[in-house]
Formats: sequence, structure tokens, C-alpha cells
Amino acid sequence: MNVLNFDARQCERTRRQMDAYLSNELLVETTDEMLLHLENCAACSSEVESRMRVREALQRAAGRHSVPEELSEAVHQRLKKAQSPRFWTARAPAWALALAGVAVIVIVAIAGQRWMRMDRAKEMVAGVLQLGVSDHLHCAIRGHNYPDVANPPEALRKKLGPQYAQLLPAVEKKLLGFQVLEAHICSVPDSPRKYVHFITRGQGTILSVILTKRDGQNLPAGSFATSSLGNVNFYEKRLEGMSVAGFQVGGYFGFVVSNLGQHETDQLAEGLAPALQTALNAGASRAALSGLVTLPQG
Amino acid sequence: MPHLAALYRTAKFLVRNPVEAEDLVQDVYVEALKSFHRFQPGTNCKAWLFSILFHRFHHLRRRLLKSSLEEPLPEQDGVAAEPPVPQEIKDEEILAALDKVPLAFREVVVMADVEEFSYKEIAATLKLPLGTVMSRLSRGRKLLREKLAEVAKSYGIGISAKDAAEGGSA
Repeated sequence: MNVLNFDARQCERTRRQMDAYLSNELLVETTDEMLLHLENCAACSSEVESRMRVREALQRAAGRHSVPEELSEAVHQRLKKAQSPRFWTARAPAWALALAGVAVIVIVAIAGQRWMRMDRAKEMVAGVLQLGVSDHLHCAIRGHNYPDVANPPEALRKKLGPQYAQLLPAVEKKLLGFQVLEAHICSVPDSPRKYVHFITRGQGTILSVILTKRDGQNLPAGSFATSSLGNVNFYEKRLEGMSVAGFQVGGYFGFVVSNLGQHETDQLAEGLAPALQTALNAGASRAALSGLVTLPQG
Repeated sequence: MPHLAALYRTAKFLVRNPVEAEDLVQDVYVEALKSFHRFQPGTNCKAWLFSILFHRFHHLRRRLLKSSLEEPLPEQDGVAAEPPVPQEIKDEEILAALDKVPLAFREVVVMADVEEFSYKEIAATLKLPLGTVMSRLSRGRKLLREKLAEVAKSYGIGISAKDAAEGGSA
């Protein structure tokens, strides 16, 4: 190693900047200057190495902390408890509120799972899933789009606009025994993504149908069990007692979310997918004809 | 649950008690649910959950202690020699050393070195000026090295004569 005579002030400056260097917070030029000094100063170089050693040891030791198995379950229990009083204090009948509470809780659980999945699954696609579900949660928690008495079909059609109004009869027809309480197009702050969101009630549960444009993305095949139903690409997942059936219809992702069994949810999704496809096509033509396209077909 | 492991280990570093850490983490998720409408998708979810964690933790502590600091901040000793750092650092040594670092420094070290938040994120999460974050991190890391040297010495392992000499020469 070349031994150069460094000004003691240079060593002092290097020591002062060492913490920012370890945190990768130095400007590129300052880092270059520092690296040059480190190359030629054994004392500073050994000091930076020992500081890195401590940092790495801390990361390693912290990474070995295990999370108690029961903690995740305890969190879910607390969320359940925290959620119910909000609903019981409202004016709607108790049974409806209880159902709404249950729906919100399971949706929270799913949103949680989605976030966790983001670490593993393809980020872009997982982002779509997370947004879809967190949007659902947003709507449900805020409550203002969650009427106790179903909105009249005319109002729902108006909210959906010409492109998506056709989806309403398809959802009503294919979800036998469910009543569509609400339908709207929603979005989340800072995201251009739009969701067509149906909230339905029936069979003792709240069920959501969510559609969002694929924008060329695909569902992550690796993280879903794939079942082959007709010509529909079909994905299923059971999370925290809640079933999610995901599918692709043309340029859209569709999700059916409920706390029914996976089989029932799959069946509902299977019936819905082709009908949604037809309705989406019809909606696109209608919107194009009337010159009222607000959301171009993906 | 999202970021459960990170929240739990940080909670444990803060309260040093597994049961209290579990309670704290549960509170964080309940609080997150209540204020979910304030979370903006697309922003850093982990940082958001951590700011709830720290807010909750400091709130509980203030209530318990009726004071903002549980321990006096150690005096600055800018000129003290660098403590020798062992070549091999065992998990229990570094964790014992961290435990001896006062909270005000410990939290910044954990945020920066374990969770790898940026200075800016730490400043926002802990509601501290950026300069304070930098000085606390620097001081906290030094305290950690000092405590580590003490721990290693008391364990009677880790530091060989060679290491000690190398450390001293720095």
C-alpha cells in the first residue's frame, strides 16, 4: 500500500463523514473523495471496516429475531374487536352492521396478505392486487359507499357510466341470491388506476366484485393455484377464511372476494367471468358510439 | 400481516420485553386500521407503520414516566479513542451491547442500521430535525461499539491481543 502523508485534517474529516458513508447518505463526489483517502490510509480504512462489521453483526442478529407464532392471530383478534364497535354505533340494523364488520375485517386480513406478498411476487402485478383490495377496504371502512338499503339500479347505472353500466345486469344475473348494494368507479389517491367496484349482500355475507384494467399485466401464476374452467384463466386463493377468485377478462383483472368457501367463490367467479367479458365488450362499443369514453378499453 | 417481523423486532429493541413488544405491535395495527384512510397507497407503507409504532411507543412512555427521557444522555466525548471492535461478533454480544445504549440513540441506530431507513425517513418518523438524527446516529453507533467492547471483554472472548492492537492503532 502506498503510504502518503495525509493531512490529519483529512483523517478527521473522513471520520466525521464515516457514519453518512455507512448509511449511503454521502454525495457521490464526497464518497469518491473518501474512497480515495481510504485506499491510502490504513487507519481510516481499518476503522471503516470495523464499523461495518458492527453494523453487519447487528443486522444479522436482528434478522434472527423470530416472531411469536400467536402474534399474527392476536393482531387479527384485536382488529376484529377494534372494528365492531364502530359499526354497532351506527343507525343501520345490527345484523347488517355485524356483517359489514366481518367483511371489513377479512378484507383487512387480505390487504395484509397482499402487502406481504409484495415482497415475493412480481412487484407490478402485486401492486395491482394490493391497490384493488386496499381500495375495497377504503370504501368499506369509510362507509359512505356502503348503504344498508341497496341503491336503486338507475342510480347505480348512472354511477357506472355508459361503459360499465352493462356490467350491472351481468352481476345481478350471475350472482344468484345476492343483491347489489352499491356499484361505483373508484380510485385511490396518487394512482391513475380506476376500479369498477360492486358491493353485494347475500347468502349471509358481503361479497365484492372488483374490475380493474390489466394494462398489459398478468396475474402471478406462481402464487396462485390455477384451475382451468372453460376458456377463462382462473386463479384462486384462500386467505384468513376468505376466498379470492381472480381472473382475467380481456383487458381487465376481475376479483371476487367473499368469505364463502373457495369452491362457491370459484363457481360464482366462473359464472361471472364470461358474462363480464360480454358486458365489457358491449360497454366499450356503446361508449365509443356515444362518444363518452372516459376510460379507454385496456 | 405486512411488516410484522420488522415491527416486532423494533418494538422489542424499544421496550426490551417480548410481551410488551407484542402488545405494542398489536396497538400499531389497530391504530393503522383506524387511520387507514390517511395512508396513501404507493407511499412507503413500512415507514407509515413505523411512525405509528414510534408515536404509540413514546405516547405510552410519556404516560408511564411523565418525562420524555428515561435515562440521561451521556456526555459527548468527541476525543475519546475508538473502542476496539472484535473480529468475530456473536449475536448475543451485539444484542447485549445494543441493550445498554440509551433509548434516544438506540432507536436511531435500529432505524438506520437494522431497518435501513434513510436519514429523511428517520427524521420524519421520529419527528426530529435531520441534524439531530445524524448526530444521534453517530453517537449511538459509537456507544454501541463502546458497549460491545465492554461486553466482549466481560465475556472474555472476541478480542484477541491482535484485535486490541489493531483497534488501538486506528
